[in-house]
Amino acid sequence: MFKYVSILLVTAALLFVVGCSKAPEADMQAADVVMQAAMTAEAEQYVPQSYNMALDTLNAAKAAKEEQDSKFALFRSYGKSKEMFIAAKALFEKATTDAQAEKERVRVQVMDMAANAQAMLDSAAVALAKAPRGKGSKADIELIKNDLESVKIGFAEAKADFDGGKFLAAKAKFEAVMGKTQGVINEIEAAKAKKAGN
Amino acid sequence: MMIFHTGLPTHDSNQKTASLLSIILICLASVLSLLLSGCQDPPLAALEKARLALKNAEYVGAKKYAEAQYREAEKSLQDGRMEVARQKGRFSPFRNYKRGDSILALAFESANKAAADAQDFHGELKSRADNAYNGLKKELASWRDALDGSLTLFNAEKHWSTADMALKMSQSLIIKDEYEEAIRAVEKGKKSLVQISQVLNEYANEEAQKIKVWRRWVNETLEDSRRNGTTGIIVDKSAHKLYLIKAGKLIHTYDCELGYNSAKQKYFAGDGATPEGKYYVTKDRHNGSKFYKALLINYPNETDKKRFAENKRKGFISRWAHIGALIEIHGDGGRKDDWTDGCVALTNGEMDHLMQYVSVGTPVTIVRRSEAWP
Repeated sequence: MFKYVSILLVTAALLFVVGCSKAPEADMQAADVVMQAAMTAEAEQYVPQSYNMALDTLNAAKAAKEEQDSKFALFRSYGKSKEMFIAAKALFEKATTDAQAEKERVRVQVMDMAANAQAMLDSAAVALAKAPRGKGSKADIELIKNDLESVKIGFAEAKADFDGGKFLAAKAKFEAVMGKTQGVINEIEAAKAKKAGN
Repeated sequence: MMIFHTGLPTHDSNQKTASLLSIILICLASVLSLLLSGCQDPPLAALEKARLALKNAEYVGAKKYAEAQYREAEKSLQDGRMEVARQKGRFSPFRNYKRGDSILALAFESANKAAADAQDFHGELKSRADNAYNGLKKELASWRDALDGSLTLFNAEKHWSTADMALKMSQSLIIKDEYEEAIRAVEKGKKSLVQISQVLNEYANEEAQKIKVWRRWVNETLEDSRRNGTTGIIVDKSAHKLYLIKAGKLIHTYDCELGYNSAKQKYFAGDGATPEGKYYVTKDRHNGSKFYKALLINYPNETDKKRFAENKRKGFISRWAHIGALIEIHGDGGRKDDWTDGCVALTNGEMDHLMQYVSVGTPVTIVRRSEAWP
């Protein structure tokens, strides 16, 4: 009789321990914190696929936890949701790292573009300084000077966007600046040719 | 006997057991049917439908163009997912997916609305950016026509070029789907065009104020020539004509070329403008000029010097600027363009012709517009 009672008590204790497993609150909070970091790193913009995968995993983990929360205490099991929270956290961490790398890649790309635009501007300024100054080309040179000034204004605008972290807008503007600078260089060549023709 | 005796109670007991079993079976069947009726399937199809609708909304740019609606759909989907999970965790007879179903239906609707709104807004924004770009392009072309030719105003050209830069930027931004930035770039370009209007208005106002003065100068030159029977020169910059007069009468009209910034009064050395005022020939250079013959005039005269000092004092021109000199009527012209630094250029043949009539002291009146004369 005592043997049966003991077995029953041990079984009940085991059920109690297993059934009343602890909800993975800490894992959920940790995943939420890492998600915020990913948002701050603009992962949603720079690595949307990685970010969405992490978010889907987190949402599924929350649903799995919710399912267990609503069960009778003795039947709860948070093992699966805990694993999912840990996976979501890892995915958000990866998305954050990837976003930072992607942002840096875009930044370097636009910075290179800015350097190219600056080099083009400098060479246009040098070409303009060396352009023939005699009568007959002066009006052309004055007009080219105006064009070069407007390109400088455009460059400053693109640079401001770049400094403000608006890389995509800055990229488009630097492209326009380089296009117009090339036009200025062509104008200088044409003015030189015109003068040589005189 | 013994067997028979025990048989009767056994039969009764079997009947009772059978009845009891039937009752238990009925009860069990009832419980089972209750359990089965409580076992609803979770709305997985609705969940998948809402999820796909949200993916589609994201694909068409709802995160950017209809963000509030997208976030609402995203939240509804998660709320629905949680509600379904909550029900799944309950003991089966107590599961009820109705609420989850309706939340997921709401998420589906919101996602579809976000997608539709994004497409509408994207289309509208693109169309606005395209229209703004085309409008600025058209305006720039029309200003290009207005600024070309004789009206070479460098301030206006500067604003035109700034607007052109803005146009190129907006084009580049439209290609990269940055419509709002493109519209902003066009607005900046339009501001530059407004500045062109202001420059031209100032120019027109200045002309309106000065036209009386120019008429007076022309009349005084004609009157002096008539009274003294002398030769004189009148240059009309807007007409690009040099008039040779004698005894108040027109002897000859020459086409002339001017400074590359001929539409303005001359303010300082290197501004490319031909001066406006009453001058006279100070030297005739049959040789010695770098051009084919030249008549040097007395620029700057006293009025020019006063204006130069005044403008410098007011900061209108650089304090390092010089007033300039060596304004001539010279040869080597005939280029059909305003190309000099401020001189008046004729063809060599016309210069030969003019030199026959002109000598040191001959009055030279230069006006931007002579209007009623000749």
